[in-house]
Amino acid sequence: MGITILYVDPGSGSYLVQVIIAAILGALFYFKSGWLWVKSFFSRTKKNDTPEKKI
Amino acid sequence: MPDSLRHPSSFKDPSGFVFPYAGKIYRQVNKAFAENYDLFIQTGLYDLLRNRNVIIRHEEVKENLLKSGEWYLTLLPEQISFWSYPYEWCFDQLKDAALLTLDLVKISVEKGLIVKDATPFNIQFVKGRPVFIDTLSFVKYDESLPWIAYRQFCEGFLYPLLLSHYYKKNFQNQLYIYPEGIPVDLVAKILPAKSNLNPAVWLHVHLPNKMGKKRNTGNSNLNFNKKKLLTLIDHLRNVLLKLDHTYTSAWSKYYTETISGNEYIEKKEKIVHKMLQQVEGKTILDIGANLGYFSILAAKNNYSVVAIDNDEQSINTLYKKIKEQQLENILPLCVDISNPSGGSGFANTERNPFNERAKTDAVMALALVHHLAIGKNIPFDLMAEYFSKLAPQLIIEFVPKEDEKTKLLLLNKKDIYPNYSAECFENTFLKYFQIKERENINGSERIIYLMKRIGNK
Repeated sequence: MGITILYVDPGSGSYLVQVIIAAILGALFYFKSGWLWVKSFFSRTKKNDTPEKKI
Repeated sequence: MPDSLRHPSSFKDPSGFVFPYAGKIYRQVNKAFAENYDLFIQTGLYDLLRNRNVIIRHEEVKENLLKSGEWYLTLLPEQISFWSYPYEWCFDQLKDAALLTLDLVKISVEKGLIVKDATPFNIQFVKGRPVFIDTLSFVKYDESLPWIAYRQFCEGFLYPLLLSHYYKKNFQNQLYIYPEGIPVDLVAKILPAKSNLNPAVWLHVHLPNKMGKKRNTGNSNLNFNKKKLLTLIDHLRNVLLKLDHTYTSAWSKYYTETISGNEYIEKKEKIVHKMLQQVEGKTILDIGANLGYFSILAAKNNYSVVAIDNDEQSINTLYKKIKEQQLENILPLCVDISNPSGGSGFANTERNPFNERAKTDAVMALALVHHLAIGKNIPFDLMAEYFSKLAPQLIIEFVPKEDEKTKLLLLNKKDIYPNYSAECFENTFLKYFQIKERENINGSERIIYLMKRIGNK
């Protein structure tokens, strides 16, 4: 650490940040799509129920 | 090639440079960049971007104009009529420029290239819309690497927009002091506490800030890919789309609250319209344009108008209106005429001062004189001299002391302006101009003049 940081191009340090951000976004997407699947599963069963009840 | 032939702003990139030649601006592609440039053309990326009007058009000139040893090709880009810089843009101009940059990344990645520079200084406004001007920013895409320009994008686009969003103030102008973008450690310190509720602030400000202090660990085994890159770009896009800057400034309701609908504006419009018919040339600088009522009038009379005002919210409203109505020939900019942006960058020559760029055929200064003379203590003499340097013709409105708006300006001020009268105004301006027309706006004490510069000053 120390003085070397003054000479490192700040732009080059952004690779690792993006790797972490992409991982977080990926994880969020995974949970979100899981949640959406659960939601759609239940709404689908509901929809299927309604016509049957009418009959 | 002698270095003095380059444009002073064009020295950072070894891929090529911009130079003026026979009254036009050209771009040289260096041998070192030949492979990337050919890829840019052969993959059809250039045609795709050109057809969408998001990149500057160019013609290839197969002549080594400067007899340069590095020469591969010369490009003649479409010439830009008025150069502006990000520190003169309103919030929505910078936001649109940011969205454009992200779109460019998405489109180019599909063609096997990527944008290596994401600075707002690579964008200009052409016919009302942002256009990317750096043809040599596209390089071969290596899917295993993250986006090289991510940090630059954050500091140049995202951070000023985030700060403007949270403070409802103009932070784009900070790019004058920080042309490479507002540093992450500063942004992390000054963002207000409520911004911590926004996950994007943690991801793109606090995380990079914490990590920036650690040593760079090299690029081995990053485990990155195209899907991850596109997720990041889409995320940044969504973050930007949620940023908003709407607030009510003292000036942004000026017309709707104080003037609109009354006779004054109709009479003024008639006079200005008549005077515009007599203006020779094509370009007009509307100083103190407010919401651009008269800029639009001039634009509808086929003038190219640069509309400036120091109230950023008014300029932002005007920009949105221009976008909605697709008015091509107005460029709205946040410029305070009592403190216009100067030359900046290395040797003060990388970016030209506003005064040099603002040379037009006519200056329009409506309801402005009292603000400069009484609000800013600028004497008539200096005002007249300055306007005469900007343009050979002038449409100017004099607002007398008896006017209620001038009275407001004098409310909390000692009246140290014994010479503020129509007579004194005319006599001073006559040193630099001849008065072609003088019209009183009936029902008010205000006078509008059409003036022409004396000689060839």
